[in-house]
Amino acid sequence: MAAHRAQWKGHIKIGEISCGVGLYTAASTSDRISFRTINKATGNPVRREFVDSETEETVEREKQVKGFEIESGEYIMIDPEEVTAVIPESDKMLEIEAFLPSSEVDDVYFDKPYYLVPTDDVAEDSFAGLRDAMRKANVTAIARTVLFRRMRTVLIRAHGRGLIATTLNFDYEVRSSKEAFKAVPQIKVEGEMLDLAKHIIGTKKGDFDPAAFDDRYEKALADLVKAKAEGRSLPKPKPVQVSKPNDLLKALRESAGMGEKGQTRQKTKAANTNAAKPKKASGAKNNQKKVG
Amino acid sequence: MAPRPYWKGYLKLSLVTCPVAMSPATSESAKVRFHTLNSDTGNRVMSQYVDSVTGKPVTDENEAKGYERGENDYVLLTDEDLESVELETVRTIDIEKFVPRASIEWIYFETPHYLVPNDKIGNEAFAVIRDAMKAENVLGISRVVIGRRERAIVLEPRGEGIVVWTLRFGDEVRPEDDYFQNIQKTADPDTVAAITKMIKPRMDEWSPAMVSDPIQESLLKLIASKKKALKPSKTSKAKNTKAAAGNKPSNVINIMDALKRSVEADLKGRKRSG
Repeated sequence: MAAHRAQWKGHIKIGEISCGVGLYTAASTSDRISFRTINKATGNPVRREFVDSETEETVEREKQVKGFEIESGEYIMIDPEEVTAVIPESDKMLEIEAFLPSSEVDDVYFDKPYYLVPTDDVAEDSFAGLRDAMRKANVTAIARTVLFRRMRTVLIRAHGRGLIATTLNFDYEVRSSKEAFKAVPQIKVEGEMLDLAKHIIGTKKGDFDPAAFDDRYEKALADLVKAKAEGRSLPKPKPVQVSKPNDLLKALRESAGMGEKGQTRQKTKAANTNAAKPKKASGAKNNQKKVG
Repeated sequence: MAPRPYWKGYLKLSLVTCPVAMSPATSESAKVRFHTLNSDTGNRVMSQYVDSVTGKPVTDENEAKGYERGENDYVLLTDEDLESVELETVRTIDIEKFVPRASIEWIYFETPHYLVPNDKIGNEAFAVIRDAMKAENVLGISRVVIGRRERAIVLEPRGEGIVVWTLRFGDEVRPEDDYFQNIQKTADPDTVAAITKMIKPRMDEWSPAMVSDPIQESLLKLIASKKKALKPSKTSKAKNTKAAAGNKPSNVINIMDALKRSVEADLKGRKRSG
């Protein structure tokens, strides 16, 4: 049925139960707007060539071999076949090693999603059994196998009638969020500020369908190119006004007070006297940018 | 070591705006990488730009970005020009909408980033936005220009910071029905019961050890031992390189045999413990 070829075929296994499955790419990366790199001096596009870093002579493809850097500037060559030889034989067995509560998965490790599909009718019973048991227990499975020339961990979860397997990044590829946020000062927000911000959030709650999102950059870029080609001067980006700490409460009050009805200009007064009397206008969502 | 922020701009909720910096949560820098060498000389191979017509090398300062207007007709754009693109999302993450946690399908999550305040003037405003999202148990939805595309993003408060996910475009996610629609809808209750019994004893907690990379570990060990072996004759670095390159057959075979052994050992170990 599937329109594309399986990226991998093997078995998924838990204890003594196993079933034949295929992995199918669930998301591809579509083409980005591409610029050509141009030689300013001639106006011609450039192309890449591979040259020896010392002799600066062109190196033909068949002379290009893989190497390790063993010290800065020192390399050892390796034949491609030997690199292949080091990858362990795949046993084509996606063996479930553990289950995690679905809520405890650290999503920062997520790499690429794949649809996991039973390969034949015989496989379907155990496949559907695993899917429904995982859904009932609200768990995701962790399995490892040799996939795409590396020993990889995948996270498997029930999704509709199928399963989705997401490859995970290796430990050394992910920076811990604790480390990244260490330098952020610990500020606990409470009281009126928090209430106002919660109120603002309340006025902006809704649904979001990522599939309906459109990229406006290409259009904006085309406008820019047109302006430049016609020799018009390009607009300078407007400076952004940052909220000063002393004005933060005021900004929150104004945001909470207006949220809906567009900018009425008597806000300062209201904010100075008795703050957030949140007058709820209907038609709340009208001034949000359209996303979906 | 924290990578340099690769995006700097502003986080905005209604009239509240604060300066922020964003950096990727993932990095390739710790990965053992192969390089391309010239088999004749043992030197690194570098990629170089040459003019497609004249064939001559192009220097860095002559490289420019060109937007194709017609065949072989390019409008050149400088980085400064690109700053003038008239989209606020080039420098401002304006949170447009909030959705319940877990309401965005995982399959759309593409790349995670860490967002932090970028000037103490905005520390408190940042904290207000973050804590209010936490208190309401919601994710923020916005857009931002990264890599010359406008991306839908999800903001998720975490600890003292905010995780920002770029989302995949709709046409990048393949329709699941193409793959799933023929799978049986309900499972045999006995099978479900049998598998349910197997889940409990296998419950575990998430640990980064679950995403170790045995092949990388072996590679690192070997590179380390290789370095050690080379240490004594450090005086003649240049010659050493050539010697090592010339020596290739014996060196290579030893490395590869050892690598293979250690990976196989690791695999067997895993089987046993599993």
